[in-house]
Amino acid sequence: MSLESPESNEETLTHNVEFELNGSPERHCVPTSATVLDLLRNSCGKQGVRASCERSVCGACTVLVDDLPVAACSTFAFDVDGARVETVEGLAAQDGTLSAQQQAFRECGGFQCGFCTSGMLMLTTALLRQNPQPEREQIREWVSSNTCRCTGYEMILESVERAAELAGAKQQDQVSE
Amino acid sequence: MRGQKLGAGLIAQSQSALPPFILHRPTSLGEAVALTRQHPEAVIAAGCSDLVAQFREGLEPEVLVSVQRITELRAISNNSGVLSIGSGVSHAEGSRSPEIVSTVPALAAAWGSIATVRIRYRGTLGGNLLSRRYRYEMPVILSALGGQMQFHGGDITALPVSSLWERDSLWDRSLGNVGILTAVTVDTASLLWFGYERSMRPVSTVSLAVRKNPVAGLTVSAVCGSEYRQPFVLSHAAEATDITELDPVSVGQVLAAQLPDEAGDYAGSIDYRRHLVGVLCGRLLAEATGNQRKG
Repeated sequence: MSLESPESNEETLTHNVEFELNGSPERHCVPTSATVLDLLRNSCGKQGVRASCERSVCGACTVLVDDLPVAACSTFAFDVDGARVETVEGLAAQDGTLSAQQQAFRECGGFQCGFCTSGMLMLTTALLRQNPQPEREQIREWVSSNTCRCTGYEMILESVERAAELAGAKQQDQVSE
Repeated sequence: MRGQKLGAGLIAQSQSALPPFILHRPTSLGEAVALTRQHPEAVIAAGCSDLVAQFREGLEPEVLVSVQRITELRAISNNSGVLSIGSGVSHAEGSRSPEIVSTVPALAAAWGSIATVRIRYRGTLGGNLLSRRYRYEMPVILSALGGQMQFHGGDITALPVSSLWERDSLWDRSLGNVGILTAVTVDTASLLWFGYERSMRPVSTVSLAVRKNPVAGLTVSAVCGSEYRQPFVLSHAAEATDITELDPVSVGQVLAAQLPDEAGDYAGSIDYRRHLVGVLCGRLLAEATGNQRKG
């Protein structure tokens, strides 16, 4: 990269971002100041990524970037150039079968108004990838990253525990098949 | 509504529309330094979790230099009694680093307790320090440890972390003079014990380190943080030769008495805060005197 040629176009102040979204390649030209939230909702049509506090506090916009949970509202789009991004839309199978996390939240009533649910589901996905059998204390620490304004935290904690059970059972089924 | 510098017209002060900027993403420290000289008013970006909030509070730089691709800034080493932590190290990386866990385990534990899971993966050491928010905890933690910020490419090479709150210091200069924050170093050779108390956050947090003096005696350094006031550095020189000789209650009171009146705020009077800091220092020292490992 030369100093005379920044990656953004000085006249248009835009930037090309190439990344993988829920397993499919994406390429978009966005303003340099676009956040991942802008990119996903406005350019990619992923409305499941919620816009709320826009200051990395509430976690409603949580998506996974290379398996790690990040606040889409407070991550610039240029930072996901070359990355693997996952949103709630990528959780269910193509035939509509719910993922273990989604199934668990449905079973346990892990949502009320539902606004925080996509963020909670992505947070759960990241946690179970790091630790398939988390203890209640670790679940509590992770869930405390996100805000549920309906205050349904007990059911959310139970949902994450149930998601771990369902994911574990699903994995065992796959092994025995 | 407000205007912004680079021709995007009027935009809302908050939510959604952020003013665009000219973006540079250097891959080496040398390149980054050259950019800061070329654009002395540029803003340096790393994890951006705080920076985006600053944008929403009105920051509108014409040029942004993202140092996220500079691998040199993510190095952690421990050589000859000096722990060096790159400014680009994230909270998650720092709190799990084998070098830090083995050298000052309580630093790793304290680092892993700040912010939230999501922010720990994105937020960096450099961002936590240089955003200079009272409520952020790494300045409190590293000031007690005598952390030194290392700069490259400007007219300053090192500054104590505790100087973050000094007036008329580094922070009034342009980026071209300051250069890039590359790392924070901590002298571990003389460190006997370190601990961090955040159970009373946001009202008061306390970090505390005990060091062996070069000739004789011990130095107890404590830093009191809070959501609403800048951190305050407290220090006590003790004639003790061993950490077990320190009296937790009396040393805690000596340290707390040094809190200036301006440490009082709407969440607690200065009397209350001195009492609280005395209790927290005493609690940490009780732990220190019963456990002499580093951290």
